[in-house]
Amino acid sequence: MDKKPLLKVQDLKTYFHTDDGLVKAVDGVSFEVYPGETLGIVGESGCGKSVTSLSVMRLLDEKGEIAGGSITFNGEDVLAIPEEKMMKIRGNDMAMIFQEPMTALNPVFTIGYQIIEAILLHQKVSSEEARAMAIDMLRKVGIPEPEKRVDEYPHELSGGMRQRAMIAMSLSCNPKILFADEPTTALDVTIQAQILELMLSLQKEYGMSIVMITHDLGVIAELAERVAVMYAGRIVEYADVVTLFKKPKHPYTWGLMNAIPKIDDEKEILYNIKGVVPDPLSFPEGCRFNTRCPLAKDKCFTDVPPLEEFEKDHFVACFRINELEEMIKSEREGELSAK
Amino acid sequence: MTAYIIRRLLLLPIIIIGVTLIIFSMVWSLGPDRLLASYIKSPEALKTPDAEERLIRKYGLDDPMPVQYFKWLGNVVKGDWGYSMVGKDGVLQSILQRFPYTLELAIYAFIPIIIVAIWLGVISAVKHNQFADQFIRVFALIGWSLPDFVFGLLLLWIFYSKLGWFPPGMVSTQFDLAMRESSWHTVTHMITFDALINGRLDIFVDALRHMALPILTLAYLWWAYLLRITRSSMLEVLRKDYIRTARAKGVPERIVIKKHAKKNAMIPVLTVAGASVIGLLGGTVFVETIFSRTGMGRFLADAASLLDYWSIIGGALFYSFILIIGNLIIDVSYALVDPRIRLN
Repeated sequence: MDKKPLLKVQDLKTYFHTDDGLVKAVDGVSFEVYPGETLGIVGESGCGKSVTSLSVMRLLDEKGEIAGGSITFNGEDVLAIPEEKMMKIRGNDMAMIFQEPMTALNPVFTIGYQIIEAILLHQKVSSEEARAMAIDMLRKVGIPEPEKRVDEYPHELSGGMRQRAMIAMSLSCNPKILFADEPTTALDVTIQAQILELMLSLQKEYGMSIVMITHDLGVIAELAERVAVMYAGRIVEYADVVTLFKKPKHPYTWGLMNAIPKIDDEKEILYNIKGVVPDPLSFPEGCRFNTRCPLAKDKCFTDVPPLEEFEKDHFVACFRINELEEMIKSEREGELSAK
Repeated sequence: MTAYIIRRLLLLPIIIIGVTLIIFSMVWSLGPDRLLASYIKSPEALKTPDAEERLIRKYGLDDPMPVQYFKWLGNVVKGDWGYSMVGKDGVLQSILQRFPYTLELAIYAFIPIIIVAIWLGVISAVKHNQFADQFIRVFALIGWSLPDFVFGLLLLWIFYSKLGWFPPGMVSTQFDLAMRESSWHTVTHMITFDALINGRLDIFVDALRHMALPILTLAYLWWAYLLRITRSSMLEVLRKDYIRTARAKGVPERIVIKKHAKKNAMIPVLTVAGASVIGLLGGTVFVETIFSRTGMGRFLADAASLLDYWSIIGGALFYSFILIIGNLIIDVSYALVDPRIRLN
């Protein structure tokens, strides 16, 4: 991992000016994505993970504003690129797929038209060539009878097929990075597995980087190499996937891992993180997890814990890493003595 | 697509039978005596004591309703819609004589209505809550709340009585005379089109000048309505995921709006646009009265005030045809815009 990062996000702050007040949806997020790797961003709904990717692509709506930080993509300062040029980057170097394949495709145009449009925007090919490329792409994503499907409308395809078409569209220009915003959440489980497998094989073929945004830890375990855990607009833990699953160091991550049912577990009731995500209009002072954290004390309520390197390539934003260790240890002992 | 239109056309006779049945039962419910009145041209006919009963029997006015209905339907199909007191002619003939004027005004009004309303509505949505949007919303609010006769009179006062630019009426007197000459070919019964056919550009321009204020009056009302529908539909569509998808693949904002958003946003707009066509073809009593124009609105208003029920019934029948055809056109245009409707 000593290569140059393809995407480097530093201290990104994205705020929304809503009628109810200022929402600091993303507040100081930093991460890198290296060529060909998959970075997972996990977190609950509303933690700012989607907003992060929309910020990088500069696709925020009129209420959203990047209030600070920097985004460097392919050596370029994304925030300084004029909109004209940004349009050439979107869909070409950076692509995105969304959660709802039902609503992410335009209902009044055929899927072929929508893919061809993307190709024609970024590549100097004739419309016949673009059509051939679109059919080819549909075949690659595993859509049967692509010659026929290319002229069909989104509503004629099943959810899984639509997501495949969506992937075909986003990969049609061979992007360097793909933001996948909950690409499997709206699909049923067997289709989910197929789509993930497809994404992995296409990643191998095209060598692109993927930023996988999800709340599904199973997806992360399957796909990601490194993971950033977000909570209430901030990254709380950032590590490679094995470390994160084996040795979570932030109480929130630990809670998440503990909440996954394990096949050899005899527990009747799953662990759950007490409380709810705080209202984005009034995030608490200090560590934003302090309202739900079993270990929160003193400093946690006044100071923002910085994201610090705990071990090599393992970053944690918590003042009470040691206490967590102890808590885990005593819990294990408790479990053992119970047995 | 063709199958869709054919399916819709197959429904037409059923709808027409339904509509005529309702209309006819309205006539029939007046009772034989009232109906008889329209068959009698002078009081002489009722001089003998049993004349009324005799005539009722003669015209079959006391026959069972189904018998009368099919007789009436037969007459309607043959083109005999009864006698119009207002038109002093057959009802169908009176309608066909006046309808072209209404149609002409509708054609000229519809084009600016659609173009301007959609244009303003889209701007308003794209510039959401900015100055242009606020301005257009106030413009729409005024049009929405100002009654057409007030606005029409205001226009007449400014542009005719003060400035003398746009006169009321159909066409200037000297041209009206020219149109009565035997060398004048009447083809469409619409002044502007006939003027072009006869190669009289001066009459064409003159007729347009007479139409300017009625067009503006009608247009403002429909602008207000249609642009609000366009705006809200556009605002809704602009929030959709597929708009974000289009942006994410690098489609320039102009095309996102013009193509990806507008085509979707047009679906509810079409309904209202269709309603505006039907409304315009219905003739507008106030506009025709204020600007002294001959047309369907005034014909029907006169018929109503004179209790000229064959004209009223004829007008209702005529409008149900227009409504049916109008709705068919709306449905077909839906299907053209929205593939989900086309294929179901």
